[in-house]
Amino acid sequence: MELRFFEIYRSSEYLLLLFKGAGTSLILTVLAGLLGFIFAVLLSFSNYFKIPILSQFSTCFVEFTRNTPLIVQLFFFAFGLPILLGYQWPFWAHALLALTLNFSAYFAEILRAGFQNVGKDQKEAAKSLGIKPIIAFLKVIFPQGVSKVYPSLNSQFIFLFLTTGIISEIGVVDLTQAGVFIDSRTFRSFEVFITLTIIYIALSVFLKTCMSALNRVLFRWQDM
Amino acid sequence: MKEFLVDLLGKPEGIVIFQLLDATQFTIYLSAIAFLGGGAIALVLAFMATIKNRFCRFFAMVYIWFFQSTPLLMLLFLFGLGVPRLVGADVNIWLAASSALILYASAYIGEVWRGALKSIPESQWEAGAAVGLKFLPIFFLVILPQAVRISIAPTVGFMVQIIKGTSLAYIIGFHDLMAIGKRWANAPVNGTEPYIIFPIMALIYFSLCFPLSKISKWFEKRASLDKLNA
Repeated sequence: MELRFFEIYRSSEYLLLLFKGAGTSLILTVLAGLLGFIFAVLLSFSNYFKIPILSQFSTCFVEFTRNTPLIVQLFFFAFGLPILLGYQWPFWAHALLALTLNFSAYFAEILRAGFQNVGKDQKEAAKSLGIKPIIAFLKVIFPQGVSKVYPSLNSQFIFLFLTTGIISEIGVVDLTQAGVFIDSRTFRSFEVFITLTIIYIALSVFLKTCMSALNRVLFRWQDM
Repeated sequence: MKEFLVDLLGKPEGIVIFQLLDATQFTIYLSAIAFLGGGAIALVLAFMATIKNRFCRFFAMVYIWFFQSTPLLMLLFLFGLGVPRLVGADVNIWLAASSALILYASAYIGEVWRGALKSIPESQWEAGAAVGLKFLPIFFLVILPQAVRISIAPTVGFMVQIIKGTSLAYIIGFHDLMAIGKRWANAPVNGTEPYIIFPIMALIYFSLCFPLSKISKWFEKRASLDKLNA
């Protein structure tokens, strides 16, 4: 029983693999976060205006996605749907699709609460100024709602980032997959996964810092 | 049960459904272990974060921060692969999977309970002290009952995360719903194609998680009504 971290760190091949894997994890997470946010806005938009059928669909989608494990969704989108519909995508595209839909459900739930929290007076004020409901939503309700729930969105995003490791299960060479590969070569499992844990923590701190910086840029109008 | 399902759905669907439902019990057992174990540690953590001892508070905060920032998958790999290789002995799969999930759950539940205890106004402590109660009676009789009301909704909500989290345990060889389902999805048997098996599994997970989500929402609504009445 001894720790031999140097078996990982002395090999430039392994370090490069970890670096690339971390990049892949980060890029896929950020992309899924952005696309998921856009989709989440559409979902909560249909809910906010109670558009028939669409709003019921969005409620069902959000509830179903939030109450099933990401890994089952991932396997369905990576192995089930391509056979059913007869298409073939690269691994990362399957992962991106599954992550985007998964993220969007969590974001939509938060956004829904945020839009409800914007006071009714805001809506009525916009109405009395003769602003159309859609414009009022985009220019009055949306910015205020998002700024209210930004901290929740932020921590949810970090939480979701920490679950993305399972995309390695469908063959995406992300950070976890890089670790599993190094582990299969060196058999120093404990050292490898401690290293990965530290990298994941560092990346989540990095993402959190970026999100806080974004907060200051996006919602500067609040301090005015 | 098995015969009934086979009669109802025929082969192989009846057998598949039976095996999936049968394996679901291990998902439930593991979730229960993770919740109870995690809750026990979380109670200690929340207590440590509340008492006026700088070291205790620091330890609780670092513990919560560390395990909240660590992916569950890494904890599973560490306990399922890392520790056995490090000590050079086999570790029981139940022990490995439940240790990882307990640590994961303890940090999140601990944070919920710490926040709930913290949200009780200082004046409650002072009022307790003013009527001559000591620290422990104030904590258990005044603060805790109020904190429980606040924290019950997020705690039940986190049980959903635990159930979903157990689906990762198959990666280190734990036999639960996920493991059995994945085996069937890979089997070249008609009627167990991935696009049939995974939605069925999703439905089983959904039927476990959705009631908990609803209960959590109900508690949340009740708590917000409490706030209005107060």
